[in-house]
Amino acid sequence: MRIAGDFLSPNLQVEERHRFSRLDLNFAFVILALNLIGLINLFSATHGAFSKDKMDLFWMQLVWLSAGWGIYLGITLIDYKIFVRLAYVAWALNLAALVAVQIVGKSSLGATRWLDLGFFRYQPSETAKLALVMVLAKTLSVRDTNNPMGLTSLIWPGILFLIPFILTVKQPDLGTALILAAISISMCLFVGVKRGILIFAIIVAAVAAPIVWNFGLKEYQKNRVLTFLSPGRDPRGTGYNSIQSKIAVGSGKVLGKGFRKGTQSQLEFLPERHTDFIFSVLSEEHGFIGSVTTLGLFLILYLMSIRIASQARDKAGALIVVGVLSYMFWHMFVNMGMVIGLMPIVGVPLPLLSYGGTSLLSTMTGLGLISSVAYRRYLF
Amino acid sequence: MSDFLATSEDEAKSYLPRYKILYGTIIVGCLLIAGRLWTLQILQGSELRQFSERNRVKESKLPAPRGLFLDRENRVMVDNLPGFDASISPQYAKKLDETADAVGEVLHIPGRKLADFVRTAQRRDGPFRPVKIKDNVSLDEVFRLKLLRWDHPGLNINENILRYYSMAQNAAQLFGYVGEISKEQIPKLNDQYQGKFTFDQGDIIGKAGLEETWDTTVRGRDGISYVEVDARGREAPGEKSNYLGFKPLPAISGYNLVLTIDKDIQEAAYKAMNRHDAIGPRVGGVVAMKANGEILAWVSTPSYDPNIFSTGPPPQVWSQLINDPFRPLRNKVIQDHFSPGSTFKPIVALAALQEKVVTANTYVSAPGTLKFGRRIYHESHKVDHGAINIMKAIEVSSNVFFYKMGIALGIDRIAPYARLLGLGQKSGISLAHEVSGLIPSSEWKLKKLGEEWQPGENLSNAIGQGFVLVTALQMAVAYNAIGLEGTVVKPFLIKKILNQDSKVIQEFEPTILRDATKPNEYGVEIDPQHFKTVKEGMRKVVEGEGGTARGSKLMGIEMAGKTGTTQVRSFSAEEIYKRCDSRPIYLRHHGWFVAFAPFQKPEITVAVLAQHACSGAQGGAPVAHDVMMAYFEKYHPELIKAAMEKKAKHEQKKEASVKVPASVIEESE
Repeated sequence: MRIAGDFLSPNLQVEERHRFSRLDLNFAFVILALNLIGLINLFSATHGAFSKDKMDLFWMQLVWLSAGWGIYLGITLIDYKIFVRLAYVAWALNLAALVAVQIVGKSSLGATRWLDLGFFRYQPSETAKLALVMVLAKTLSVRDTNNPMGLTSLIWPGILFLIPFILTVKQPDLGTALILAAISISMCLFVGVKRGILIFAIIVAAVAAPIVWNFGLKEYQKNRVLTFLSPGRDPRGTGYNSIQSKIAVGSGKVLGKGFRKGTQSQLEFLPERHTDFIFSVLSEEHGFIGSVTTLGLFLILYLMSIRIASQARDKAGALIVVGVLSYMFWHMFVNMGMVIGLMPIVGVPLPLLSYGGTSLLSTMTGLGLISSVAYRRYLF
Repeated sequence: MSDFLATSEDEAKSYLPRYKILYGTIIVGCLLIAGRLWTLQILQGSELRQFSERNRVKESKLPAPRGLFLDRENRVMVDNLPGFDASISPQYAKKLDETADAVGEVLHIPGRKLADFVRTAQRRDGPFRPVKIKDNVSLDEVFRLKLLRWDHPGLNINENILRYYSMAQNAAQLFGYVGEISKEQIPKLNDQYQGKFTFDQGDIIGKAGLEETWDTTVRGRDGISYVEVDARGREAPGEKSNYLGFKPLPAISGYNLVLTIDKDIQEAAYKAMNRHDAIGPRVGGVVAMKANGEILAWVSTPSYDPNIFSTGPPPQVWSQLINDPFRPLRNKVIQDHFSPGSTFKPIVALAALQEKVVTANTYVSAPGTLKFGRRIYHESHKVDHGAINIMKAIEVSSNVFFYKMGIALGIDRIAPYARLLGLGQKSGISLAHEVSGLIPSSEWKLKKLGEEWQPGENLSNAIGQGFVLVTALQMAVAYNAIGLEGTVVKPFLIKKILNQDSKVIQEFEPTILRDATKPNEYGVEIDPQHFKTVKEGMRKVVEGEGGTARGSKLMGIEMAGKTGTTQVRSFSAEEIYKRCDSRPIYLRHHGWFVAFAPFQKPEITVAVLAQHACSGAQGGAPVAHDVMMAYFEKYHPELIKAAMEKKAKHEQKKEASVKVPASVIEESE
């Protein structure tokens, strides 16, 4: 790209360049590559011997994906400053939706998570992650970087985080709640928190853990953690999933068993293999090569995002990227960690690979925001 | 853009040192996952591949046997049979053509056809799904297939449980049938039972009758077994079967139901509905109830064989059942309601006596016709009964007499009595899809149809036409209450629930709903003496010279009842006397007969609905006769024996004393 006129007014430079030449095409290509891997893999997961009922999901995902790219491009072209201005509105609307779920929401598997909009099952806890990123970016961007946050300055971000967090825990959707916490903590740490607060937080967590364990968690949630610590404890329940998932991943060896030939996934040993356990299908059928390639693509996506953040023209933009990045990263880390037995079973989808309309649309929206920041970045 | 300039480039750059930490965190996170993948896929890969390939542990469902249905004497009526089906797993069938030839020879299917069938299924579903090639494989075939198994990998013989209805068509609508749960039912039932019972794809559930209503009691709990299969798909039992610590969960059989049904009476009732007489097999229902509410027999015809549902009925059979105009799938004892016709008259008679419209000794003229308003109302056939009292009116089923009662009473003074005896409301029997029927009132008509009650409607409703609708079971309850002079019982079908060790889990006692002679929530009560009057009229229906059911007397036991004939639609004056059996069958009258016996101390009530049988006397009464006889032959054989001896003696005497020429006897009959 030409860097002529860099010394002129930055505004002028932005207007002068051709629209598409400013698109971060490399970033888009990495997303596209992950989409392709996702589709190939989803086809296998939904076209198994015993999953006739899931075939339509593949085509649904294609529809969501097209919509997702539309949103991605749209958001790229809109100045993210507009979104920052609207952050509180979005946050409040999302909150209203979360409350509505509590009142008129639809349940499945014991949790009330979505609103039936007729054509679409809207899951407000998914979009809450983005709303949270936006409000935190807005409120944290006005802080002086060299002055780490103390207890008082953490109150407002804390409120912004806690309200959606509590509503999500109530659903109960522990996975999403965990991600909300991870995003908030990551963003605050990035902006800077006083050392004393950090130590204090660690002590509080250590004290609170046994209390939450005894009074805050439901029986099945405790079971998940316990079975993670010893999978043989309840092989019928979550232990079964964990063991089968590990066997699936490991049995893929170096090259995998081949497309649609994963015995673990095709023979229905794996639960939820088109959503939460999609990565075990990939690892089984495409082996170490496939799983590490995917992981590598994610890593490239993250590294590119950090680069975009560092080139952002303002702090709000940088913080948006850091927020979305932590959203994507923790999602991937928790999901893969669960699949390969690094973490307890937490129902969190893998961005871009798992089936799911709301998840895919919010992922593409988030990536669109990064792209929007990239579109208006400075080039050093 | 002014706020944009407020946070300048320099400030954004103040974050720059922190990106190093970000890079570090993310790279470490990804390395952690990559390291774990390395461990699982490279270091433990071969080992884990072995689990997945050589020693596959497959979770499979062990279906729980459903509870049996026993009759009151613990005789099995609905049973479970072991069944077998054969399937081929394409992934293991390397020599599919040879396998198909060998298997086809045993099952009498051309091998070529079989191989094509499997290949088509494989293209559709992939190689891992076993293709079912035959349901209901016979034992002989099972043995021959088992011999083939070792030479032909991929051939499976699966054991399953088939529901077996040993009485086939008999009581099909009562027992119902089972089938695989439908996609729509899974969330519905799971919501309904809120985790107390869980329903999954492939579950067999009750779809009608007792199977449906008592499903959660009889279904038991499916178990889970972990089957290890070798690389060629053959089961490898015993070998390291507990490697992963999977403990099988045994299936728990469902509870057995001991019904109030008496298999002997049930069989007699089914036979009676399919009598070989002038009318032939009836369309309709019959229910026999003991005085305490225990149902002894329950038949709905025409029927179907519920066994076909155990293996999934062929589509053409299914559509045949659905489209049959006589609706074999419906339980006509409670799922359909009909006009009661003249069987409603004893209830109107009770109302007329209690409301003091007439006494037992009031004589009312009953000519063949009655003019009311601008219409002329008829007897059912051309007859002038003259002046008759209420007992005679019941005996000969005079329409004109009851028209007059209807005019004098009005519907609002009839309805409470009908409801008091159990009509127009669900009986509360533990069987799904019961309809409530209808006992109209002027208030009901205004609310429901927005019209005033017409005086003329008092006439038609008083003879059980018009709006009045009842089920056969309600009629049995009402007549039983008349027989017992006021005791209204709740009919029931389940006597006991037993577990697999025949231990009683729950026992059901008879329930008396109310005593119609005592004050109650219906606002009316009936004097016991009025019951006696009406019962006497009903006794004459069978025992009297002019009784409409005199052709169906029981031997040795006095029976009391009432016939009823209801029009399928109204006919013009000329048409009304036209012979019923000359009409097309769907226009023929329905016949009712409801009766209790013995007259003095009723033990059993039988209600018969014979659709399109033209008359209650011809269509209904003979069926009730047969059911009653089966009951008394079983439970009171001494009464019948005594009657036969008496009859024989009487005839001997007659023969000995007066030698009458045979021709004279014929004439006198």
